[in-house]
Amino acid sequence: MGRYLAIFLTFARACLVRDMTFRANFILECLTSLGWMSMNLAFYLLVFTYTSEIGKGTGWSKEPFFAFVATGLIINSVVQAFFMPSAEELTEMVRTGGLDAVLVQPLDAQFLLSMHRVDFSSLANGAVGVGLLAWALGRMDHAPPPIAWLLYPLLVLCGVAILYGLVIMLAAATILMGRNQSLYDFWFYLTNFSRYPAEIYAGPWGGPLRMICTFVIPILLVVNVPARVIAQPFTGESWIGVVAAVVGAIASLVVSRIVFQRALSRYRSASS
Amino acid sequence: MSDAVRPAGPLQGLRTWWTMLKICLEERLVYRGDFALGTLMRFLPIVTQVFLWTAVFGATSRGDIAGYSRNDIVAYYLLTMLTRAFSSMPGLAGGIARSVRDGSVKKFLIQPVDYVSFLLAARVAHKLVYYAVATIPFALVFFLCRSYFPPIPDATTIAAFLLSLALSFLLGFFMEATLGMLGFWFMEVSSIVFGYMLVQYLLSGHMFPIDLLRTVPTGLSGVSLADVVHWLPFEYTAYFSSAIWLGKVQGAALVNALLIEAGWVVVMAVACRVAWWRGTRRYSAFGG
Amino acid sequence: MHNSDPAGASRAEPVIRVAGLAKEYRVYDKPEGLAASIRALFRRTSRVVEAVKGVDLEVGRGEFVALLGPNGAGKTTLLKLLSGIITPSRGTATVLGHVPWERADDFRRRFALVMGQRNQLWWDLPAAESFRLHQEIYRIDPARFEKTRDELVDLLGVRKLILQPVRELSLGERMKLELVAALLHEPEVLFLDEPTIGLDVVAQHTIHEFLRDVQRRRRMTVVLTTHYMKDVAALCERVVVITRGDILYDGSLAEIVDRFTTHKIVTLDFDEAPDRGLIERFGFPCEFRGPQVVLRIDRTRIADVLPGILGAAGVRDVSVEDVPLEEIVAELFRADSRAAAVAEAAR
Repeated sequence: MGRYLAIFLTFARACLVRDMTFRANFILECLTSLGWMSMNLAFYLLVFTYTSEIGKGTGWSKEPFFAFVATGLIINSVVQAFFMPSAEELTEMVRTGGLDAVLVQPLDAQFLLSMHRVDFSSLANGAVGVGLLAWALGRMDHAPPPIAWLLYPLLVLCGVAILYGLVIMLAAATILMGRNQSLYDFWFYLTNFSRYPAEIYAGPWGGPLRMICTFVIPILLVVNVPARVIAQPFTGESWIGVVAAVVGAIASLVVSRIVFQRALSRYRSASS
Repeated sequence: MSDAVRPAGPLQGLRTWWTMLKICLEERLVYRGDFALGTLMRFLPIVTQVFLWTAVFGATSRGDIAGYSRNDIVAYYLLTMLTRAFSSMPGLAGGIARSVRDGSVKKFLIQPVDYVSFLLAARVAHKLVYYAVATIPFALVFFLCRSYFPPIPDATTIAAFLLSLALSFLLGFFMEATLGMLGFWFMEVSSIVFGYMLVQYLLSGHMFPIDLLRTVPTGLSGVSLADVVHWLPFEYTAYFSSAIWLGKVQGAALVNALLIEAGWVVVMAVACRVAWWRGTRRYSAFGG
Repeated sequence: MHNSDPAGASRAEPVIRVAGLAKEYRVYDKPEGLAASIRALFRRTSRVVEAVKGVDLEVGRGEFVALLGPNGAGKTTLLKLLSGIITPSRGTATVLGHVPWERADDFRRRFALVMGQRNQLWWDLPAAESFRLHQEIYRIDPARFEKTRDELVDLLGVRKLILQPVRELSLGERMKLELVAALLHEPEVLFLDEPTIGLDVVAQHTIHEFLRDVQRRRRMTVVLTTHYMKDVAALCERVVVITRGDILYDGSLAEIVDRFTTHKIVTLDFDEAPDRGLIERFGFPCEFRGPQVVLRIDRTRIADVLPGILGAAGVRDVSVEDVPLEEIVAELFRADSRAAAVAEAAR
């Protein structure tokens, strides 16, 4: 609805104004995330001096791998910028009664609780990701076909949707449990598995892990599908991944909403 | 002088320390949901790293990378979890800077307690508590992964390993404490601490064994980046002890490295002490 | 929905109807000491707390009702049930014909909740932006919104505050802005949870005046929880006293005095400090304050006893008053917590 968009823009504008007011802090936060990211990129460069490929015959040589990393940066920065800030504040809101105020308003609580705060500094990583993607694709011998270019943004959005669903389920857990281990820690551990191409999960332990992370908690669909579409040769098989990502996105959104509504109906509220 | 102010003898210090220990333990146990699960969770990122390295080894034809076999690398990462448990000092620098900012450091200027010794004792208590509660998860993981480890080294190596761990605890403590002392001069220490964390992340061996840097050239001929890092304090907080256990540093090189590590401990301890003296002098001059 | 018969308003369908509403919580006991902490890892003891125990209540349109009770009495829990924030364990309630905890948008658009010391305005935004957000969220007609906003802002005298970020304002200023925000969509029902807590006397007074004025003009139904008698005396005619999840009393303020007191306070002013024995002879509890004596005399016996007392030498002035409301209510709370302690000991 247009109303929701107008409300979101008001929030986004307010956050932007605030970030520009505390400009030094904003720049520092951008540099922080860029700092960690560059350390990781340095690590990957180091690894590629010892090998030409990640996993035998997987096709993840240097440039495709960096395209993969770039896709991950883009998707994660969108989630970190638009959804995580609000989700992290949820513990505080439960504690201070701010959640009560949200429940009383004639507006979807999930929307308000996941989108009232925007962290623009997280977009810095995404910007670097776009640049890295351009560099990697430029250096690859085969250019992606037009269909890949068309599908890529859609699949990036699917990845964002899958992660959003997970954020919402963690938020639901926060509402139910009140005080909780930091949401951010949990998030890190969960998404850590999706940092590298799914092909690395092979063998007696890797195989099942790969299955779980594809079909149960589909985090492996998040980065792998769009990255493979844009950086690996596009074949008929690629469509399987596309369908899986779309299905995973829809499932993630639907399931998370149900869980969230359930959590709200069980909300205890801080003591009087 | 009333009865309330007893001179602080060693027994009193021990008593205080024991109370501190008990409180830490209680505090840990309060977070019952996060407790054992949290410690186990910290091993999860290693799982990803193991798979990554397996894939890397799978794609190359060489048997080892910079002297590490695939199993060595897994063992290395597990060992760095252990070594970092000794040298990491979460909140130390920030805590000192904060107490300077909000004035609570003043009571240490008045009371007959040495601030640095106090902090050190507190950290020892914290660490002991952490080891007490983390031993079981750690032991479990190491037992399950025992096939990745080479045979247990000889007594001398073990002794060197333990010595390096103790030194890394002191090194980590004095490095972060000195950073915290910068709070006497700078309002915002967090950016400096962040810079330190970044360098640590890259050069301590947290991400990869420092040996991997042997192929990275510096401007000077015959000197690799690994050689340069060898003289810096960072690798001694995570990489060094793990490398000792895995037998990657031996004989004269081992002794040399231990001396460098000890040297850095002394340097940072002195730096910390000097920073405290000059900082408090400056602090008092400004009326606090 | 306009009722053309104001006098018959309360006789019409009650705005709030509560029957047998109850809310229970399971509370886990916090371990004390090291041994208990270790034990708590394996087995945690818990008990059930009954925050609200089967309450019945009806409030008609335009009424101004106070829920009065000590901390932990369940009044805030009751308010949260009525505003749909939590769901009950048992019982039913309807507000404006809706079941609150179904949280229908149509319902939420017709009432407002203001909680003292817990803000609902968005901290990072100046109040003016929060108001604009409110307009969007509640779908208030723009022209009507501006008129209402200006009216409320001027009534509370906060016009120059609305452009500052809310986090920079004092508690009193924030409270006033919260009230403005709450009334922008012209709700039919207003829930207030300890609105004057932590405020200075001047701010309390301003808010009392404002609430009285606005409630009267818009014929809002207001339910206010408080543990201050001051709020009650200034604003409401009907008081519901709640202790430990139960309604102890529901009626007019004036009746509380009749119902819960047995005596009146008689103050005698003498020319000079009187002889103690002279007064104590009457057999009533008395307090000597220099030339003044304060007696507590049984109401049924006032008429008999007073002439005798007045006859005592040197009486210059006399006043006969009801026991102050604060005292009555405080005693009510105390008596009830004594009963609770007895019940607890017997467990």
